[in-house]
Amino acid sequence: MKRKYLALLLALVMGLSVLSGCGSETASAEGNKDEKISYDNIMRLGEVTEVDTCDGQMTTEYYDIPFMIFDRLVEATSVAEGKSDIIPGLAKSWEISPDGMVYTFKLQEGVKFHNGKDFTAEDVKYTFERMLLPETGAKNQDFISPIKGSQAMMDGTAKELEGLEIVDDYTVKMTLEAPFGAFLASLATPGVGIYDKETTMEAGTDFGLVAEKTVGTGPYYFKSWVLNDEKIILKNENYWRGAPALDGISWKTVADADTMRMMFESGELDVFDCDYAPTQIGYFMSNEKYKDNTVVGNRVGIYYYTFNQNIEPFGDVRVRKALQMAIDRQSILDNLFDGRGEVLSGIMPPGLVGYNPNLPEIKYDLEAAKALLAEAGYPDGFEMTITQSTDSPDTLSRNEMVQAQLAKIGVKVTIEQVDEATWYAVRADGLLPMYTTSWSADFNDPDNFLYTFFAPGNTNKRSFNFKNEELSNRVVAARAITDNDARMAEYQALEKAIIQDEAAWIPLFCKQHIFITSDRLKGFKVSWNGWTSTWHYYEGLHIEN
Amino acid sequence: MAKYIIKRVLISIPVLIGVVFVIFFMLNVVPGDPVTLMMGEHIKPDLIEAFRERMGLDDPFIVQFFNYLKNALQGDFGMSYKLKREVSDLIFQAFPQTVKLTLSAAMVAWLIGIPSGIIAAVKQNTLIDRGFMTFSLMGVSMPVFWAGLLMQYVFAYKLGWLPVTGYKTWQSFIMPSIVLGWSSAGTIARLTRSNLLEIMKNDFIRTARAKGLRETTVVVGHALKNAMLPVVTMMAIQVSSLLGGAVMTESIFGIPGLGRVAVSAIGDRDMPLLQGTIIFTTMLIIAGNLIADLMYSVLDPRIRCE
Amino acid sequence: MQEALNVADYVDEQKFFCPQEEDIEAELLDDDSIWSSLKGMLKKNKLAAVSLAIIIIVIFMAVFAPWVAPYDPNFQDVENLRFAAPSVQHWLGCDELGRDVFSRLIFGSRVSLVIGLVPTIIAMTIGTVMGLMAGFLGKRVDFVIMRFADIVLAFPSLLLAMVVMYTLGASLINIFIALSIVKWAGTARIVRAQTLSLKEKEFVEAARSVGVKKWTIMTRHILPNCIPNLIVLFSLNIPDSIMSESSLSFLGIGAVPPSTSWGLMVYRGKQYLFNYPWLALAPGVAILIVVLAFNFLGDGVRDALDPYLKD
Repeated sequence: MKRKYLALLLALVMGLSVLSGCGSETASAEGNKDEKISYDNIMRLGEVTEVDTCDGQMTTEYYDIPFMIFDRLVEATSVAEGKSDIIPGLAKSWEISPDGMVYTFKLQEGVKFHNGKDFTAEDVKYTFERMLLPETGAKNQDFISPIKGSQAMMDGTAKELEGLEIVDDYTVKMTLEAPFGAFLASLATPGVGIYDKETTMEAGTDFGLVAEKTVGTGPYYFKSWVLNDEKIILKNENYWRGAPALDGISWKTVADADTMRMMFESGELDVFDCDYAPTQIGYFMSNEKYKDNTVVGNRVGIYYYTFNQNIEPFGDVRVRKALQMAIDRQSILDNLFDGRGEVLSGIMPPGLVGYNPNLPEIKYDLEAAKALLAEAGYPDGFEMTITQSTDSPDTLSRNEMVQAQLAKIGVKVTIEQVDEATWYAVRADGLLPMYTTSWSADFNDPDNFLYTFFAPGNTNKRSFNFKNEELSNRVVAARAITDNDARMAEYQALEKAIIQDEAAWIPLFCKQHIFITSDRLKGFKVSWNGWTSTWHYYEGLHIEN
Repeated sequence: MAKYIIKRVLISIPVLIGVVFVIFFMLNVVPGDPVTLMMGEHIKPDLIEAFRERMGLDDPFIVQFFNYLKNALQGDFGMSYKLKREVSDLIFQAFPQTVKLTLSAAMVAWLIGIPSGIIAAVKQNTLIDRGFMTFSLMGVSMPVFWAGLLMQYVFAYKLGWLPVTGYKTWQSFIMPSIVLGWSSAGTIARLTRSNLLEIMKNDFIRTARAKGLRETTVVVGHALKNAMLPVVTMMAIQVSSLLGGAVMTESIFGIPGLGRVAVSAIGDRDMPLLQGTIIFTTMLIIAGNLIADLMYSVLDPRIRCE
Repeated sequence: MQEALNVADYVDEQKFFCPQEEDIEAELLDDDSIWSSLKGMLKKNKLAAVSLAIIIIVIFMAVFAPWVAPYDPNFQDVENLRFAAPSVQHWLGCDELGRDVFSRLIFGSRVSLVIGLVPTIIAMTIGTVMGLMAGFLGKRVDFVIMRFADIVLAFPSLLLAMVVMYTLGASLINIFIALSIVKWAGTARIVRAQTLSLKEKEFVEAARSVGVKKWTIMTRHILPNCIPNLIVLFSLNIPDSIMSESSLSFLGIGAVPPSTSWGLMVYRGKQYLFNYPWLALAPGVAILIVVLAFNFLGDGVRDALDPYLKD
């Protein structure tokens, strides 16, 4: 009997020692990595999903860190309420040829990457070519594809970018395929940060994944990344614009929006993004503790519903118009977003150049909607489907409101839920029925809206299947109009024709982006387009403990 | 004895291969081409083809399976689609967190379950019995995520005693361990109670009582010793089921362990990562059960009769 | 998820692995004795009786939901009733679209109960057939079936259910399939163990010796003796399924509206926990009460049928 207890004891001890061995090993490994970073002067932010990469070329979703550790040739910044401008970045000045075809950039001299290497024209060329080479697998080619020869590179038939020429170490000349009015603005997008040739080549696939190997010229350098836990960037003492006031920024990966909110309210985070609790903005704005700490920015973006014109009865413009009129946008905005925004009737939101404040309003009018449906042969309505991804309760609430609203004109809506990846895949095949989401400006130009949704090809990839080829072709042609006023006029005409006459989508509203900050964080600003990601985490931001 | 051990180990091998097969099969009949998802929209069809060929994605299913199995046995679970890192690295990073959580939750489960079971048995069919059993069964009856949320709300948000999430300090493990441990305390309490009740019916207990020993001595000194045998094995099995339960707990409390990785892999349709984490977790559980069985057979030779 | 109730673990395994030789007297169980011991248990065990009452009430509410629910669960009055606090008109308040939470809870119980019952019935039917075959036919059949069972049991059940849902996509039918796949093996293992011990009993030997067909022996002689075990398993599997559903819903791969479930209600309500706590509390408490009731009832049933489980 005794022997058995001994055996049991032995087994337990062995088990425990193996396990505790595991524990202590990792504890020390973590200890080394941390080096006891003090958060006294670090801005602590949270995010809900782990990101795939910090390589700005390889993602279309995550720009927080790419914005901060890299610089772009030019930057976009807000100059006044609802206005933004392009200012110099790594390019200190530029010249555009009168025909709009050739851009010559003079680069900043004496700028160093985080690892001490010099920034030169060679790095610009490398960065652009890396983006276009198929083996990179980048996702942001669109921003530089107007450059001559980029198609050949993307097809794999050219190894070098024909339209990009190094004049000397600090001068780069870019020649376009055709004039593109938004070219400069698109170079300010976070996907086009400049990388160091040598380091990036050496890093290979580790670039953007391993902190030490992800090197840029930005105001912060990439300190550490523990998956599903935390990413830290620290200040670049030698930043060419001057070192930032913060010691750094950390992003905690948290389980969900509610956890984020609890962490913020219990002082573990410095900023809470009200997008994570849109129905409760009122609570924060009226709460004694927080009302002085709110930062409100306008989002240059728009919420919308789509029509898939391949699915009956949405091929009929009368049906589309009826639905545009049957949705009570103000009620959705008031009830789900605390009314903080503005109902829109087009596609270009306020704050975007070319925004048309005089666009006729699409009125909420059930009688007119019913009449149109009857005219189109659906006096008793019809059945339709709205598809969304499963993990978005906010979208579900919006869809359920629309479901109830459309029932009033006899349209019976089924809400179908699929997982996110399927949703994207079906959408790319042009097969997704009606859906709702939002779009906000990557760069300040109408092209970023109209071309994205209604250019030939794009319109199928986003499951609109817009059928008016003449208008689609005009969307493409508008890119090459060199006279800016004429270009904006064309965009406004297109907006009226596509959104209102053709009724190709249902505009909802734009909404404000509201942040609540901790007491100690000062100088927090919302970027020009209202994104959470911004390169403004550099300017004027500091902590008073 | 040695024969039993060998037989038991040999039986685990087909189970292990079966586990890999089941997961591999299910995840590879998923509709939608993962390669396109992974490589983005601009990629040309011939490059996708080349990639598929290199990765062996066009081989017959069974060939793919054996390749995967072969690599998996060498610790190579492939590359995560989304995070673009070796799955084995990701697993290795996440594993210690899960072990810590599982062990501390097991402690909680035992600390709640065993005393509750004993007290309930001693006071059988009284209010105290019902009270203790209700308490330990409540853990089983609450969704983990719901219990976790309420605890965060009360202890972190309202009272500020504990951090909302985290894993670097022991304090941050308190809530997750309680939530997870409580959820299996009920099972342990039940087993302890029923075993103890059974033992108490035996002659030697009656004899002990007749000798005038105090009730506590009878229960603790005589009955408990005998009742704990199955409970001990149960503990080992429980540890492996806690490993599975860690999925929800880690997600709620932001612990970057295996469960968290698996859940986010589902959201991202990251097939290799999901495959790897589940196979690895299941392997751990098979190993755990094997150890439990062997331990039990050392303690109780009758088990080898089968 | 917690392994809510690992039934196979719970029903004291070693009894099945090593059948004790002493209790041979068992002949065909007669149903009356089972019923009378269950009735006796309900009289003695108040907790189980109350639990049964709760379960009956909940089933009643689910079946007659359209008559019991005070409002249409999908009717929105977003202008007037958004986040209305609990009141006399709306006992559990209203949600973000001004829908009556109590009515939604009642309709949600339909989904939750169906998910409790259907997969359990499917899984236990499959498990019983498999267990009988494995135990009675033995040899290769036994080996194949039980290795399959071993494989399924090796997985943490939530993870396996997650993978099935991942493969099939989120829908009610797929939840049935996922939970059935996960659960049949536990039943199979227990039924097999009991079959093995019954096979050696005199009355089975006797039946065999007079040439009764295998199928008849399995269904007429062995199966009835497994019934007490199956009753216990059944009452403990239902809450397990309900819990699994809520976890899957929480992960966004569970049931999908318009048929809302309790799990889904918690999931959607959790973001309002701070300001409008009833939205997450009500469905969570509902789950807690029903699952607890099933567990108590299951425990009671197990105690009552204990003598029959000994085989």
